[in-house]
Amino acid sequence: MLHVALANIKTYARRYIAVVLAVAIGTAFLAATLAVNTSTRATLKNSLGDTYKNADLVAFQDWELVPEDDPDFEYTELAMEQVEDIRKLPEISTAYGTAYETGELYTADDGYGVLLQPVSAEQNLGGMELLEGRAPLNADEVILDDEHADRMKVSVGDTVGLTTSESTKDMKVVGIQRTSTDPQLSGYAMVGLPESVWTKIAGDSGSFQNIVIDAKDSLPAAQQALAAYFAEHQMRDVSVLTADEKVIKDVAMLTDGTDQLTVVLLVFALVALVVTGLVVVNTFNVVIAQRTRELALLRTLGAKRKQIRSSVLIEALVIGIVASAIGVALAVALMAGLIQLLHVMVPSLSYATLALDAKGLVIPVVVGIAMTVIAASLPARRAMKLAPLAALRPFDAASVKNRAGKLRIVIGILLALAGAGLLAWGAIDGSLPIAFLGGLLSFPGILMLASLFVPASVFGIGKLVAGRSVAGKLAALNAVRNPGRTTATATALLIGVTLVSMIMVGGQTAKSSLNTSLAGEFPVDLTLSLYERQVDDAKTQELARELASLDGIEETSTFVAGTAEIKGREDEAPVQLMGVDPQGFSKTVLDQSIVPADGQIIRFNTGTEEQPKKLTVGGRELDVKVSSAALYQDLVTKDTLESLKLADSENEYGGVLIKAAPDLSNADITALVEQIADVANVESYMIDGGVVQNAMFSQVIDVLLAIVSALLAVAVLIALIGVANTLSLSVLERTRENSLLRALGLKKKQLRAMLAQEAVLIGGVAALLGLVLGVVYGLLGAHATLSAVGEMSYEIPWLQLALVLVVSIVAALLASVTPGRRAAKLSPVQGLATE
Amino acid sequence: MTSETLPLTEYAVCARGLTKSYGHDSTRVEALRTVDVAFARSRFTAIMGPSGSGKSTLMHCLAGLDTADAGEIIIGGRDLMNLNDDELTMMRREQIGFVFQSFNLVPTINAKDNILLPLSLAGKSHDREWFNTVIDALGLRDRLSHKPHELSGGQQQRVAVARALLTRPEVVFGDEPTGNLDSRTGAEVLSLMRTSTREMGQTIIMVTHDPAAASYADTVLLMKDGSIVGQLDDPTVATVTEALASLAE
Repeated sequence: MLHVALANIKTYARRYIAVVLAVAIGTAFLAATLAVNTSTRATLKNSLGDTYKNADLVAFQDWELVPEDDPDFEYTELAMEQVEDIRKLPEISTAYGTAYETGELYTADDGYGVLLQPVSAEQNLGGMELLEGRAPLNADEVILDDEHADRMKVSVGDTVGLTTSESTKDMKVVGIQRTSTDPQLSGYAMVGLPESVWTKIAGDSGSFQNIVIDAKDSLPAAQQALAAYFAEHQMRDVSVLTADEKVIKDVAMLTDGTDQLTVVLLVFALVALVVTGLVVVNTFNVVIAQRTRELALLRTLGAKRKQIRSSVLIEALVIGIVASAIGVALAVALMAGLIQLLHVMVPSLSYATLALDAKGLVIPVVVGIAMTVIAASLPARRAMKLAPLAALRPFDAASVKNRAGKLRIVIGILLALAGAGLLAWGAIDGSLPIAFLGGLLSFPGILMLASLFVPASVFGIGKLVAGRSVAGKLAALNAVRNPGRTTATATALLIGVTLVSMIMVGGQTAKSSLNTSLAGEFPVDLTLSLYERQVDDAKTQELARELASLDGIEETSTFVAGTAEIKGREDEAPVQLMGVDPQGFSKTVLDQSIVPADGQIIRFNTGTEEQPKKLTVGGRELDVKVSSAALYQDLVTKDTLESLKLADSENEYGGVLIKAAPDLSNADITALVEQIADVANVESYMIDGGVVQNAMFSQVIDVLLAIVSALLAVAVLIALIGVANTLSLSVLERTRENSLLRALGLKKKQLRAMLAQEAVLIGGVAALLGLVLGVVYGLLGAHATLSAVGEMSYEIPWLQLALVLVVSIVAALLASVTPGRRAAKLSPVQGLATE
Repeated sequence: MTSETLPLTEYAVCARGLTKSYGHDSTRVEALRTVDVAFARSRFTAIMGPSGSGKSTLMHCLAGLDTADAGEIIIGGRDLMNLNDDELTMMRREQIGFVFQSFNLVPTINAKDNILLPLSLAGKSHDREWFNTVIDALGLRDRLSHKPHELSGGQQQRVAVARALLTRPEVVFGDEPTGNLDSRTGAEVLSLMRTSTREMGQTIIMVTHDPAAASYADTVLLMKDGSIVGQLDDPTVATVTEALASLAE
């Protein structure tokens, strides 16, 4: 049957273009995900593992090997002694320790904090790459990293001062080494010293984080020798790993043990593949329906059932292989392009590398092929069941009734109900894991039931929209002519749209809920704290007036902060007080109930403890008023503050309270903060407050939303290819019917419009149903996640959701262009002539 | 059969100098060689000829389904050759009816909607009285709500005839309308078509290769190698068979 299958693919190549595209995109997604993973590893190895990336082995004290039940266990400290011992092992060529002592380096102009590392010319120079000069050999010689040497304007031959825990000495710079790309180190100037000098500086405490080792000949022999050495010296908690393994361990430590990025991406890749699978099922269903007579003829001529099935499966296999290969190539090209782009845009990330491993290339191909073949096996089984007699029966192109399997309906209902129950429970209880599980169960359940409501919705809405137009009515009828096909096509799109709209609604609700809770907590929009300046209220007021003239600022007032002790609580930290001028303060504060009167103290964040009516603060008795708003200091009037005995005059500082204009966008607020920092000549972190925090949260949520939407857009794209695919196959199937309509007086334009309407109906209704589901899931999910945090404020991003609908409809329209063209191009006579 | 001297109004369909060829150079086939033909109003004409004689091509061109290379085709006072695709479509909708050999009906809609399809496409309402006359004449009253796949072959063809008659077109074209029917059902459909010319004054042009079907026509035109080579008035099965046999010689 192989030649029949291949001949079929050749003959019907055009029918497979869309499915190849869909499978290729799905596979590309998976391959890109895995390439991101390997490239991240390689990039991290290039940076985190910069110190030992060229080495063979790394020995280090490993906390995981410390026995938990032995409190007297003696931790190993790897010191110069061990390094010396290891160097003597015959299996080892070089070994050096890495450790960083701190010191200060002085040039003629300035002083810098530096890290000191021992280096030895015979031992790989401590992993450093010399760019210029030579290794330090004498006690007064050092090497320095190039970036910092540049900044310090130091070059080979210069003399610098070096202060260490031991002494201050003049040192001669004899070499420049490449700056480490390890983000943990690259921020510091790195000074390499001869080992003997370093040992003196480090003294007894001089132990190494790692001993980096190169094998002489064979790696296993070196590993064995090291294991024997550490065992002999009772150093049970020392691990020896290859450099690669060590980097992976370092990365895992940084990323909390799991590779979360990859896991998240894999979830999206899975969604894309499920959608792709639906497109494949549909394609093969249609192709086989069109080939009923042909397949039945093969049966009549003596083909066995199995042969029919394998012929279909071989076609799927070939398509899977071709499409997966294209997909992987696409992913590699994409990743390479992205990394090139990164190199050009961000030169400092030049250590970012594209890394591909065999696994990352083979898995997507295997998954792509398996997915295609598995998805095609259902239609193949249907083809197998064809009776030889079907070849002789005229093909009935009218509606095909396909009933959903009873089992599927039952499982669907069970899943949907169980999931809905869990979802409701999770939402009410404010438990995300339960709600998540509910979503995980109910969504597949609803998808299994899709055949019950999707065709009905499509037809209902189609009839409603069509009105009196014949083409519209025919479009509505055609759209549900084969309910199974319509359901699968719509479901593919529905999955993507549901997920996109769910995160949109969830994100928006999260944003507005945080907004509400922050607005409730922060009584002041913006607080500028001049921590580093002595209190000079006159100057601060001048600054406040200057700030008030900025666009986006409505009012400003000044404050003076100080600390004072509370009588009877001298053992506690002194209370932090903010002295405000009540008149100005009442203009800038959002909550008038916290404007203090003379002799009054407004206390915040007092927890649950009962507050006395009066407190003696800084030697004066004050009336106490408690508020739940969020300010870091308790409020008094400036006059009151002046009358108090303050605890520590060094902790006094002034500042400005700012009321921002309403309706500022996040970008406006970020810009405003920068502007204020500029005018006040302070760092922007000294400006805090409700709107800043809100803008920050909003921005984080927006970025997350954008990323997730972009990832899900892949699934939506595949689904839309599916719509185009189904439509063009349907057009082929209905060639005669369309020709008849043309003969009877349907204009070309009407024919194209009819097909466009069909596509828009399927796409639009799928998107609409997806939006409804997404809104429900989004609101419940947001409630489950956030109701514990504070008061919820539900908000639905109508505009964004409308945009999703419009995009789906426009994309469906576009999807109908090619099939519509092809249908309209055919003359009625040609169409009627085709069998 | 030259039409130069004849007033147009006497003829429902009239063609002059119709030429059409397929393919290029060595594979070139001349399907129509300068055909001049006119079809009188209210007559049932059959076009016959061996396979490849050009009878189907002639009908497709006359019906505006296919375009001829040269010549003119006058239906309802308009030359089809000067019309663009939309105008041709409107022409087919309003002035021309069709009965094809098979696949005559849109499978998704019922018999009544199929009958009304050309009118609905034009956005026109139907003449209720005429509709009743037609469906009663064709015996379709009980079948109106049936989908095509619920109808027998003969019923499907009767629905197609009803659809063709309902617009009261200048001409109804039949392309082997009984080719897929058994002889008894075929005879029934042909009688109905003849009745519609006699009683409703409908012009019908039918392509067939079956002498029995042609015997229902008022006139038979004989074609060979892209030209009209003969005419038989008041044909019988015997005269038609004889004429065809002489063509083959």
